[in-house]
Amino acid sequence: MMILIVSAVTFALLSFAGGDALTQLRDNPQISTETIERLRGVYGLDQPLPVRYFRWLSGAVTGDLGESTYFRVPVSGLVWARSTSTFLLGTAAFAIALTFAVPLSLIGVRYNSTTIAAFIDLLILVTASTPRIVLALVALAISVRLTASAIDWSSAFLFWLAALALSAPLISAFLAQFSGELQRTMQEDFIKLARAKGLSESAVIIRHAVRPALNPVLTIAGLSLGGVLGGSVIVESVLGRQGLGILMVSAVRGRDLPLVMGIVLFTSTAVWFGNALAELLQALNDKRIRDLSF
Amino acid sequence: MKEYLSRHRFTRGRTDRLAVFGWLVIGLFVLSAVFAGFLAPYDHSAQSRTEPSASATAIHFSGLRPIIHPRLVEDPLRRTYTEDTSVAIPIEFIVRGYSYKLLGVTETDLHLFGVRNSSGIAARINLLGTDPLGRDRFSRLLYAMRFSLIVAFSGVLVACLVGILLGGVSGYAGRRVDMFLMGATDAMIALPTLILILGVRAAFPLELPMSRAALLLLLIFALTGWAEMARLTRGLVLSVRNREFVVAAVALGVSQTRVLFRHILPNILPSLRTQALLLLPTFLLAEVALSYLGVGLQEPEPSLGNMLTAASDLDQLRSQPFSVLSPALAVLLFTLGIRLIGKSDRP
Repeated sequence: MMILIVSAVTFALLSFAGGDALTQLRDNPQISTETIERLRGVYGLDQPLPVRYFRWLSGAVTGDLGESTYFRVPVSGLVWARSTSTFLLGTAAFAIALTFAVPLSLIGVRYNSTTIAAFIDLLILVTASTPRIVLALVALAISVRLTASAIDWSSAFLFWLAALALSAPLISAFLAQFSGELQRTMQEDFIKLARAKGLSESAVIIRHAVRPALNPVLTIAGLSLGGVLGGSVIVESVLGRQGLGILMVSAVRGRDLPLVMGIVLFTSTAVWFGNALAELLQALNDKRIRDLSF
Repeated sequence: MKEYLSRHRFTRGRTDRLAVFGWLVIGLFVLSAVFAGFLAPYDHSAQSRTEPSASATAIHFSGLRPIIHPRLVEDPLRRTYTEDTSVAIPIEFIVRGYSYKLLGVTETDLHLFGVRNSSGIAARINLLGTDPLGRDRFSRLLYAMRFSLIVAFSGVLVACLVGILLGGVSGYAGRRVDMFLMGATDAMIALPTLILILGVRAAFPLELPMSRAALLLLLIFALTGWAEMARLTRGLVLSVRNREFVVAAVALGVSQTRVLFRHILPNILPSLRTQALLLLPTFLLAEVALSYLGVGLQEPEPSLGNMLTAASDLDQLRSQPFSVLSPALAVLLFTLGIRLIGKSDRP
């Protein structure tokens, strides 16, 4: 439903603003207005807006997103091909964020020391306030310093550097959420019971506190998907990595409306899918949610 | 209990000190944006074609007086320069230069510092070097901060107006309106905002004059940035609407709009202010991202985003990373300052 509304609004906006791929031809003296009108008929651009939207929508349902006016290939294939690279980068960013956040939060709650708490606070502050574009530019400067030649995307080093730049806000979100939630869980009665049973503190945390504290983290992970996709536009553009982000930028600059629509639709669907996945994982983790929805 | 109290006081004091630091940073930002003309030694669009892509001017001291040496072109193709150490030009404070409008009203040509060109030697002081067109990067940075801050501030203003209105209506009106509006809000928050912004941007011509580009950015921000504000406002309105004084006002027959604006809004304003503050970096970054990608504010007007496009010239990035990335540093300081303020401002 949400995807439907978004696609309709974007479609309407793109059409109202006028200027399709053929507008640029109008300035060309060799092409007459009749030719343009004929071409409009060929591409169906002379139809009223709702007709065009439903034509586009019915195509989109069957996986046909039209043809890119710039690349002259079907949009769906193009988007699909580029999305794997972005998907890899995003997954790496999530992995990095988790490897920072989970052990640190566990250590923080296990050894109740002010130093570790202060360190976690500092890390949250720093990662939350360092924008992705700054990190990406620093990563670019570093890689340019280290390698004499142009940027080499086959190197794993640059890939992880890019993933790190992409993951900064994730680290702060996960860390803040997970460590805060762990602290709160440790005040619960069932934790007191587990301690009274004679379990060691580590066992109490691992077996009893982690699971309930995990669900808010999953919610945050689902919500931050959109940010990761948006951030990948920046990181990819700065570091010159082929992916959905660069494709989107070139589509916008080339006024390639089918491609813009395709990417908006694809990313919105991906975000929706990711959120559904997060909810599913929450249900697997928490029996109460499972009983409610299934 | 005692231990808890003392620890609490300790952290409280620390966050307050951090907040002071944050205010200091933001204050400096605003001041340098307001007095960009006074602080910048050169006009942001003045080109010096003979010295493109120069590195920062080195400041020497002869005794206690700061001096610089004029630049000599060593290799015009590789753009390397040497210093002519036989000539020493003093850096002077409060000097006359190009004229600008102070605070947008009075015309003046006074600048904080600069070098005077005497006896036919044209020397320029470039604290951050020059860009490929020979423009002073330090002056451009100051003006860029002004342009970007104006866009970010007005973006927050517009987004807050839309968000508070929608959130207030959502929290105060009936269930159906509430469900619809909050559904839209949740969708808006989850969506990939930057991609959406780019999508909306695609609907408009690529090349736009400065004022219209800024206006367009504001429109896009208002369209995409209201969601978090709306959600917060709704929650706050819901928490206040059943308090005694609101019920009393309703019982007295005060109209709904008046209740909302005169009784509820003043009570939730402090929390909204914090949220608005935290939105500032978001909009600044959106401007930076769009301008960096070439679809925001465009040359010749400097903005923090379009200045950063210089980083795509890898040779320059390699030889003078600090100068090229100085706008990024400014962005970083700004977001950090806002965060520090927001941390202690949170009720």
